[in-house]
Amino acid sequence: MPSSARRVPVEERLFSLVLALLATEQGLTKAEILSTVTGYAARYGLASDRANLDRQFERDKEELRDLGVPLETVDAVGADGDTKLQRYRIPRARYQLPDDIVFSPEEYAMLTLAAQVWREGSLSTDSRRALTKLQSLGVRIDDAVIGFAPSIRTRDAAHEPLTVAIDRGQQVVFPYLKPGQTAAEHRTVSPLALVFHEGRWHLHAHDDGVDSARTFLLRRIVGPVTLTGSAATVRPAANESARVLDELAALWSATVATVSARPGSEADVVLRNRPATREAEGSLQVHATDLDILADELAAFGADVRVLAPSSLRDSVRLRWQRLVLTHG
Amino acid sequence: MADRPPPQKAPDKLTFLLALVPYLIDQVRVTVTDAAAHFGTTPDDMRTAVVLIAMSGTPGTDGTYTHETLFDIDWDDFDERDIIRFRAAPMEEKPRFSAREAAALLAGLQRVAALPAFTAHIDIIELMAKLARGTTGAPAPVAVRAAELAAVHAILVEAVSTNRRVRLDYVSTRGERGVRDVDPLHIEGVDESWYLRGWCLTRDAERTFLLDRMASAELLGVAESHAVASADDVLFQGASTDERVTLALPLVALPLIADYQGSGDPVKVEGDRVIVTLPIAHPGILGRIAARLAGGVEILEPASARASVAAWARAALEEQDNSAAWPQNPPG
Repeated sequence: MPSSARRVPVEERLFSLVLALLATEQGLTKAEILSTVTGYAARYGLASDRANLDRQFERDKEELRDLGVPLETVDAVGADGDTKLQRYRIPRARYQLPDDIVFSPEEYAMLTLAAQVWREGSLSTDSRRALTKLQSLGVRIDDAVIGFAPSIRTRDAAHEPLTVAIDRGQQVVFPYLKPGQTAAEHRTVSPLALVFHEGRWHLHAHDDGVDSARTFLLRRIVGPVTLTGSAATVRPAANESARVLDELAALWSATVATVSARPGSEADVVLRNRPATREAEGSLQVHATDLDILADELAAFGADVRVLAPSSLRDSVRLRWQRLVLTHG
Repeated sequence: MADRPPPQKAPDKLTFLLALVPYLIDQVRVTVTDAAAHFGTTPDDMRTAVVLIAMSGTPGTDGTYTHETLFDIDWDDFDERDIIRFRAAPMEEKPRFSAREAAALLAGLQRVAALPAFTAHIDIIELMAKLARGTTGAPAPVAVRAAELAAVHAILVEAVSTNRRVRLDYVSTRGERGVRDVDPLHIEGVDESWYLRGWCLTRDAERTFLLDRMASAELLGVAESHAVASADDVLFQGASTDERVTLALPLVALPLIADYQGSGDPVKVEGDRVIVTLPIAHPGILGRIAARLAGGVEILEPASARASVAAWARAALEEQDNSAAWPQNPPG
């Protein structure tokens, strides 16, 4: 056995904790864990270190749960909530991938591609770990099967804290810059789902400030996402993300603007290539989920575009140009 | 996509250990080289992990680690023949996916499934159901819906796979429209944007084309191969000839111009404003940036850039009141 003075790497301590908790049927108390498991035991004798060790154990439990390890806490009979008597365990049936889940080489290749969609950010960390777990199945594939993967960036800084908050059922607060505004406002929400639609990440959440459901654009969360410390007031339904995507798709097809683009211009080509654009009587019917965002996009085309309808959109596009003239004229 | 993986953190290393154990048990006997190749790691990292596993186990009933409760490896095979063979193991379960891992795969699948090449062979719904069953709890609510692909997409996929030259009616990021003959190299998708990388015969150089800027694409004859000048894959690299323009914007709006910012561009925070200097290829791009931020931007210098943005915005406003038909010949 290694000497007790050896510094145990974090992954070895966590690995030993998983092994110990998988092996026990009735569970281990915190004292049993800290006094025996590799990584804790050598420090258990030092009274001065006990508070640190306790905190370490709390963090390790959180870490394992984040990784999807089903770590259970069992109260002692007649002593609900007494942390000294509580027992910890990992039930094998909930830890283990069901035996009947097998992937064909084609499915495995497709999952590998799916994991490669995430190029950066929190989903890339999660998909890399998922890929490692897939590799435990030992499926062999021909490298040639793996073609190219389209990728999605999750570099929006809000993505990771929101994923964690949804996972843990926590309420969050963040500064939000509404489209068309120049000052941000703080929103306190219970996050429900993250969806990628028409090139943008959206957060669907219960806005606890107005007690109503709202959808936010991640690009417009312009500062840190912080946990408020309260539990989420609403939890996601089973089909939350699919339902939100359906709603966004319905919104996209219902929100139409009529514009005219200079023939042959960049605006003409790009707007025609936009999904669902139709030509009618010499003008283009363009779809969007949010007219303020469409106003930003149309304003960017300058004199190559004429906005015909709705008049509110026409006004907000004009306003953008008028501000530029005022500031620079 | 030769992205080098970031250095591994403890949770990644733990995941690796938990996945490696059942794999090694299933293989019964495997060389260090083969196991490393399977997990995409180095033989050295594989040996380190195996040694860690071989020294681990569970505290026995009396709370101490003994040979009965440790992983039991054949050290002779390992030390002398670089072969991994465990004779006994206190655990051999394959781990389930976490809610977030499953969500990442499911959302990635929704993206990949939109590509015509994959839909024919696999029952995607069944695959997604299988993944969901292999998850601790329910997969996190993350979902992706890919937009419908532009009509030129299929033509370009065919061009790449059959090695054909294409003729593009293309409008550049400078707003210049023209016919470009291209020998395609590959297609790449980022977010909802698709790019064609290829050898442009019109410019006699390797170029990147955005699919949503193609008015049309037409298949020509067999493509030729070209000496690839550089492996440089940066899409929007500022040219050294670009004018450097300094602008002020609300601090909260800074994330909105991330697409135009290079890592070396200076950024200075002044109260609730931020001053940035960006390389700008032409005045239209400056107007585009300024207009995109709901007009809440001020160009500070040079004076010529201030004047050209004001003129750009005035021209746009005048065009709104113009009810005449567009001139048939585009400018430029």
